[in-house]
Amino acid sequence: MSMLSGMAMVFAGLSAAILSVHLVRGRNEGDNARTIPSTTKLWLLLGLGVFPIAAAGSANVAGFEATQSRAFCGSCHVMIPHAAEASMPESTALSAIHGRNASFGKDNCYTCHKDYGMYGFVLTKLGGMRHVYLYLTEYHSMPLEESRHAIRIMKPMPNSTCTSCHTTTTPGWNKVSAHAAALPNVRSGELSCASPGCHGFAHPSTKLGKELPLDGGAR
Amino acid sequence: MKLPEDRTLLRIACVMGLLALPLMVWSVLEPTVWPVLVALTLGQAIGTLSFVLYLVVVVRDLDVVKRFRGRAAARKEPTA
Repeated sequence: MSMLSGMAMVFAGLSAAILSVHLVRGRNEGDNARTIPSTTKLWLLLGLGVFPIAAAGSANVAGFEATQSRAFCGSCHVMIPHAAEASMPESTALSAIHGRNASFGKDNCYTCHKDYGMYGFVLTKLGGMRHVYLYLTEYHSMPLEESRHAIRIMKPMPNSTCTSCHTTTTPGWNKVSAHAAALPNVRSGELSCASPGCHGFAHPSTKLGKELPLDGGAR
Repeated sequence: MKLPEDRTLLRIACVMGLLALPLMVWSVLEPTVWPVLVALTLGQAIGTLSFVLYLVVVVRDLDVVKRFRGRAAARKEPTA
């Protein structure tokens, strides 16, 4: 459990204790006293205002962090094959290679599928809400075997997603002859980094049989 | 619409607060889609409403509305 999660639990516990004590004491006192003492109001300011706001704030941040994890993405059943493939320790699929990265491996779905740019975080979260809506309305009852092939990325992954880390301006990148030859097409987006013949599909196990031979067969 | 008495309002606020807290913290214990969504929507809505009820009680207790009306009436009175 992270520190934020712990803080959320502590604040929620303190708040629950104050509210419970107030309810129990209020029942014992009855409605005889018409005015509410200032000390009660101050305690309730903590129990209904300060602590719940702190608990909600830390739980929200912890929740937003959790939404970036692969475990979260794979918690909708239709994403299980994608998440499972990205977790395979010996797979050479792009998703699995990135899943083994020590810096962001456990968050690799988010790292590769997020929008790049100033409003990337907000746009990604809005896109995520669209995913939830579509899951509820269309894919909730879809069998796993069908969803594995039926669910596709809405628009092709832009190369900027790859080049935001793997910059095309370093000598190391250009030393690879295929990179140097494909540079104009990579930059214009005509040729995808994750295309057959280059780095291959990110999730080959979700492709239909006819797509795999292009990429040299199943991995 | 007439609101219940202050003590009743506070009790309702406390019950709502006790309902909202586990919903808000659920996402911390189980960070999957539904707990996170429930925490960010239902949990926060109930929690906010409980705090609003508390604020209503405080505003009524301090007679804020009466004070504002009194000041407005004093301003309208013609000066001799």
